[in-house]
Amino acid sequence: MAAALTIDGLEVDFGGFKAVDGMTTVIDEGELRVVLGPNGAGKTTLMDLVSGKTPSTAGEVRLFGKEITNWPEHQIARAGVGRKFQIPSVFRDLTVRDNLNVAVSHEPRVFRNLRLGMAAADRSRIDEVIALTGLEPVLDTIAGDLSHGQMQWLELGMLITQQARVILLDEPTAGMTQAETAKTADIILRLKGAHTILVVEHDMAFVRKIAERVTVMHMGKLLAEGPMARIEQDPAVREAYLGSGGVH
Amino acid sequence: MSEILFIGLSLSSILLLIALGLSITYGAMGVINMAHGELVMIGAYTAVLSGIYLNLNLFFALPLAFVVSALVGLGLEKLVIRRLYGRIIDTLLATWGVAIILQQLIRLEFGLSFFGIHIEGLGPGLQNMDVPAFLTQPFEIAGIPIQPYRSFIIVVTLLLTLLTWFLMYRTSIGTQVRAIMRNPQIAAACGIDVRRVSAFTFAYGSGLAGIAGVLLAGFKTVMPDMGASTVVDGFLVVVVGGVGSLLGTVLASALLGQINGVFAILTNDILARAVVFGVVIAIILWRPRGLFAFKSR
Amino acid sequence: MTRTKLFKYGDWGIYILFIVIVLGLPLVMTDVFWLNRIAKYLVYGMLGIAIALSWGYAGILNLGQGLFFGLGAYMVAMSLKLQSYTSLQQGSDTPVPDFMLWNAEPGAPTELCCITSGSWLWLPFQAQWFGMVMAIVLPVILALVLSSAIFRLRVSGVYVAIITLALVLLVRLLIIDAQPITNGFNGLTDLGWLTIGGFEFDPYLVSTYYIVAVSICVVLLATRWLVSTRAGLILQSTRDDPNRSRYLGYDVAAYQVFFFTVSAGIAGFAGMLYVIAAEFASPSFLDITFSISMVVWAAVGGRSSLIGAAIGAILINTIEATASETEMFREAWKLIIGVIFVAVVLYMPRGLAGLARDAVGLFAQTRDSGKTRTARSGAPAE
Repeated sequence: MAAALTIDGLEVDFGGFKAVDGMTTVIDEGELRVVLGPNGAGKTTLMDLVSGKTPSTAGEVRLFGKEITNWPEHQIARAGVGRKFQIPSVFRDLTVRDNLNVAVSHEPRVFRNLRLGMAAADRSRIDEVIALTGLEPVLDTIAGDLSHGQMQWLELGMLITQQARVILLDEPTAGMTQAETAKTADIILRLKGAHTILVVEHDMAFVRKIAERVTVMHMGKLLAEGPMARIEQDPAVREAYLGSGGVH
Repeated sequence: MSEILFIGLSLSSILLLIALGLSITYGAMGVINMAHGELVMIGAYTAVLSGIYLNLNLFFALPLAFVVSALVGLGLEKLVIRRLYGRIIDTLLATWGVAIILQQLIRLEFGLSFFGIHIEGLGPGLQNMDVPAFLTQPFEIAGIPIQPYRSFIIVVTLLLTLLTWFLMYRTSIGTQVRAIMRNPQIAAACGIDVRRVSAFTFAYGSGLAGIAGVLLAGFKTVMPDMGASTVVDGFLVVVVGGVGSLLGTVLASALLGQINGVFAILTNDILARAVVFGVVIAIILWRPRGLFAFKSR
Repeated sequence: MTRTKLFKYGDWGIYILFIVIVLGLPLVMTDVFWLNRIAKYLVYGMLGIAIALSWGYAGILNLGQGLFFGLGAYMVAMSLKLQSYTSLQQGSDTPVPDFMLWNAEPGAPTELCCITSGSWLWLPFQAQWFGMVMAIVLPVILALVLSSAIFRLRVSGVYVAIITLALVLLVRLLIIDAQPITNGFNGLTDLGWLTIGGFEFDPYLVSTYYIVAVSICVVLLATRWLVSTRAGLILQSTRDDPNRSRYLGYDVAAYQVFFFTVSAGIAGFAGMLYVIAAEFASPSFLDITFSISMVVWAAVGGRSSLIGAAIGAILINTIEATASETEMFREAWKLIIGVIFVAVVLYMPRGLAGLARDAVGLFAQTRDSGKTRTARSGAPAE
């Protein structure tokens, strides 16, 4: 299978402290990859580097073979990378429907957007996303008034609407109830295949439910990579991340 | 050369005098107080009125004006500012309204002029404050002519800056203020009475404006809108220096005052001010957080 | 009718009502003096629209909008000055503004090209169209350059307000300092009339009123269209969460620059119309007080409503003009406006427009509950 996202020797130096230090991994097209690691391992920073929020100091990021290292955020997004933040980031003063409308971004330039309404294809894609995320009852609600779970699903829905080929999810179930977590897992599993997904997550029950291949980071470096079952038995991983107690 | 420096220093000290209070209310509390200039104006009127009715001279007017402006500031905090913490643009707009109200209250003699009652020292007219004679006689030190009143302003500004520094960095209330500056929620969680400390801080910043008003009254005509033009200069100094940095405010007023002084001699007063604005714009574009800002709030 | 539909129809109803009143006013108001005044307040209404566009929809508070208004005003005033009677009577082949004669060095040639240093800058303004075009082009170019610098460098929030404030003060000083070509503090007065196809637009003519009236209606509808487009929606998204917009692929700065520039263009256009109606241009257009007043009008009318901001501006100025008949009232009115403004910020942050929306919402609610009550009473008794 073709590589969707290639991270090659990526490094960032915050005044002597290397939050990500020579990280290398390749994510195949359609793959769902979970990134694990103890706090401070550099998982969120890795996402910042890939999505252009933080400029890297060495190494490369390639998207379907094309180098996108340190491009401006919006150009990385246009190239096909979508990102969900740990704290839900939606347009709080717009309605849910308008949030999704904004997410139709295949034509991002100002002058091309000086028109009313949108294409039928885009409208039907939004309808699909609404069905997938179950946001139908709250379409006319101001996004700022949504519950925490609904806000997370809306943000997820926006990434799907955006047609991001590679989706970066930073702790998508943080602060969710069990029922909400289960629904989120369902949504993510349904996206697998059509999108390439990179998830950072702590909730092991959730990780077991969705994970195939797992990448473990430690101190900014790649510690181990492989199928979930093998990673759970890896002594180095148990030592560094899981402690002596093993996986909970 | 030393003469140019002295002019610059004197301009700097006036800038600092006005910016000092703003540095506290804006830096510590995130309030853009457009009525700061009116608190300056109230200080000036306090000097004028205490001269007319109480026969007090400049030296007694200084503490009195501090108290009067601080009380007005306290009232302003309790009535308006308190409801707007965290809405920085709204504080700017609301205090703009307050500025108009305060100006009109002085101009209309608290509304008494509607009834044909006139209070000497108030109203739309121009007022003057008498400066003690020994502060008006220029003298020379080592051949350099010294203007005593300007020097007096510089000395008072210096003392106030030191006092403010002492309060902020060497007292427990200062520690609380700085804690609130960095993170009001955590400060509250640590048991700091944020409301009380904020009110105190605002009153202190306002009191400094009152003192600035008295000193300004010594060389400027006192009138209801005298403060309005000073507030913008004060803000530019605070922003250029870096929000929340007392040292930054001091250095920025020195920098902008000197630039103003030098260009006033090279060209004229108008262009010199234009140059100052140009420098300010360039600095904000280059470093929006100011020259000496601490990181993140 | 659902609540949303009610809002939509109510919204259009207000637009139509506004346009009907503005265009129909000369039928009932025959006092040309007042009509001319109202024309000026309609110009202020356009400024309200410009502020609402950048502040309400883009979240960019421009405290220096007077800069673009002032430049627009000066550009057209230069052209009209050269057409005035006083400029043509200087015994020269080219028209020469009277103040240039007063400012000229002794012995300087009385020609526009060289009478004072820099007076050649006036040469193209001999054509009226040049001044009118520049009244929009100059503000637009300046806004483009300024906002590109501001937004590419990701300056935001209150710092934008401070930069725009400092810039309007800077340009004001430059205009005052350039006495030989701007007449300094006094500004440009004794202007000629706008002349199109031989027709002279005397400011006290109904036709001149209509130039302004039609302009504000067009600007209102055009901006309304603009914010309803996808670009307008994306702009609002950048106001709420610029990072989210970036990660969706939008170049946030491009949207901010575009709308900031449109807003500046409207302000320049307003400056041009103001000069046509008021017959002068002065550095006071670039006073901070004026720029902040525009924000006040928009806030009272409703900062995120185009028509609300326009109505706020027109209303406040009309009341002020009525109250200013005597000196005493004028001062009292200022006090009142101060109180109103503090009250609006504290208790009514969405302004008159917000109040109107709440009223419509309340109406919809009581009507809906009335409906359910009838439905219930119509149900068969058990």
